[in-house]
Amino acid sequence: MLARVRLILGIAVKHLAKRKRQTAVAIAGVGIGVGFFLAVSAMMIGSQNDFVQRLISSAPHIIISDEIRSPRPQPAIRALRGTTVEIQGYKTRNEVRGIKDWQEIVQAAEAIPGSIVAPSLSGAVTLRVGGREEPLGIIGVDPSIEEKIENVQDNMSAGTFHDLETTQGGVIITEDLAQRLGVRMGDTVGATSAAGTRSLKIVGLFARGRGQFGNNGYVLLREAQSLTGHPFIINRIGVSIPDPYAAQTVAANLEDRFGYKAQSWQERSADFMTLLLTRNVIMYSVISAMLLVASFGIYTAVSNSVVDKRRDIAILRSIGFSQSDLQRVFVAEGIILAIIGVVAGWAIGTLLMQILGSIRFPILGRVEHLPLDRSARQFMIAGLSSLCAAAIAAWLPARKAARVDPVEILRGAA
Amino acid sequence: MTALMSTRALSRTLPTEPPVTLVRNVDLDIAAGRFHAVIGPSGCGKSSLLYLLGLLDRPTAGTVLFRGEETNTLSGDERARLRLEQFGFVFQFHFLLPEFTALENVLIPIRRLGRLNGSAMADQALAMLDGLGLAGQAGKTPDKMSGGERQRVAIARALANDPSLVLGDEPTGNLDSGNSAHVIQIFQRIAHDQGRAVVCVTHDPTVAAAADVRIHMLDGAIERIE
Ligand SMILES: Nc1ncnc2c1ncn2[C@@H]1O[C@H](COP(=O)(O)OP(=O)(O)OP(=O)(O)O)[C@@H](O)[C@H]1O
Ligand SMILES: [Mg+2]
Repeated sequence: MLARVRLILGIAVKHLAKRKRQTAVAIAGVGIGVGFFLAVSAMMIGSQNDFVQRLISSAPHIIISDEIRSPRPQPAIRALRGTTVEIQGYKTRNEVRGIKDWQEIVQAAEAIPGSIVAPSLSGAVTLRVGGREEPLGIIGVDPSIEEKIENVQDNMSAGTFHDLETTQGGVIITEDLAQRLGVRMGDTVGATSAAGTRSLKIVGLFARGRGQFGNNGYVLLREAQSLTGHPFIINRIGVSIPDPYAAQTVAANLEDRFGYKAQSWQERSADFMTLLLTRNVIMYSVISAMLLVASFGIYTAVSNSVVDKRRDIAILRSIGFSQSDLQRVFVAEGIILAIIGVVAGWAIGTLLMQILGSIRFPILGRVEHLPLDRSARQFMIAGLSSLCAAAIAAWLPARKAARVDPVEILRGAA
Repeated sequence: MTALMSTRALSRTLPTEPPVTLVRNVDLDIAAGRFHAVIGPSGCGKSSLLYLLGLLDRPTAGTVLFRGEETNTLSGDERARLRLEQFGFVFQFHFLLPEFTALENVLIPIRRLGRLNGSAMADQALAMLDGLGLAGQAGKTPDKMSGGERQRVAIARALANDPSLVLGDEPTGNLDSGNSAHVIQIFQRIAHDQGRAVVCVTHDPTVAAAADVRIHMLDGAIERIE
């Protein structure tokens, strides 16, 4: 059995060695296909992982807010359910803003092992400096808890998150906003809300290009409560959990129990997730096209080999090789080409990744490298799919080898 | 004496328009230890008969019996197996595999059969070549050998698995008289000394004269046997 496999492989290798140029072209096709597959997927998967990692670490996994997805039925409707009456002069009741019984929700969320829960209050103020005005969404937090669920410090270009705790009326805003207002670190700005005006001192700045902070600024929770005139009120609870990918389920649970809108990071980034899906569809289409092109090379090489070797096929049949033996010889040719091509492709891919990894991108003063995924998984996928594609590409012409009628060839030659 | 191979009412007709009958109603007995020559004018169906005997082609009517067994019902793989174990072919043109050396060519049927271990296979192939005066050619590829040497390598390959039936289609057709005489001598030896059945299609009167049985064909049918 083993002797037979070696014999068939030996014949296949001899055929390939005789046709060096076609062999080289077919191997190059697979090698380049696999190499670029690896480079493209390393970039696509690497950047995707990087994005998702940023999404997960830059904000709480779940944000419970004081919104309700489907408003509670108005009291009159609740009272008169199922009947038809005409009501005149009915006054709709406004729901009180803020999360009621927020301590209970915090307790429930803290019951999840390994979770961190950070209540906060967000509101809107207007910043004023010497005639210039800018709206600011303020988020009142407890920095020592908030820093565990949200990566604030890493995004700051000046000051520290904890400076909020040590400075009375401290605020952290984006560099962009500071520039528009014409203020710098340590300057004081006026903040006006429905509850009045107070002055805030800039103790930290977010670096440029951190879009997620937009027009938001951070203050102490106490500060936010008094600024907006909502003492003891909470309208946002951030929750981080040990398994970020469970956020959707946990959020749904919390929302079911308490009625308040609980958004997972996946839901908040739904647009982005759709974009990732589209990217993946594009990536796999490109990769499939590369494999297809590589398979054409193998198909052509094996096809030509079958045509060239019709005489040898007849000889081998007369010696006592079966039709399936002949088919195996030519499938083996395709697989040998693919194996050499895959190994070459792995080398090309590694080289391309090396080059891509060494490119430095200065983005807004920071030097960034392309995030690349170099996992063995991609190498395996590239290798196995090339082998499968090659086996099919070789099998089609190999069937023709099996069908060659030796008598026809022998007659022709005699 | 029972025949090693026999045919009964063997016919082969090509399904062309109009149909062409290559072999017509042939009854033939091939005996072990005998050298048979098939002779007749060009186009009378000698090669076609040989392909039927070698189970490379299937008859449209009649049967080929090998050791008394019907071969029509055998599958393609079973026929290939019989060719591998029992038959050896020698053609007019040497028909060696061009990429392989003489030794490797002789090794191919031995390795395909796979009954021996690696070194025993090589020993057998070398012995085969040696027996035909080719010991010095073992490492050469066909393009570096003379026509006579190539034809003898082809014979060595045909004999590699110790076949009971050797089928030749004008094996001397391309050789000068010296090499022809050598091949005829080999065929006589493998029939008489080694007890194999030899069937040899030929135009060459010296081959016909050397044979034990002469089968005269005309128009696809057997005219007479002497
Ligand atoms: N495909 C075909 N279509 C039509 N006729 C064919 C075909 N193949 C072979 N023949 C005919 O069949 C006949 C028998 O051919 P075969 O090769 O058996 O003859 P042969 O006796 O071996 O001849 P030669 O001595 O020239 O080798 C010939 O007349 C040939 O022309
Ligand atoms: Mg002929």
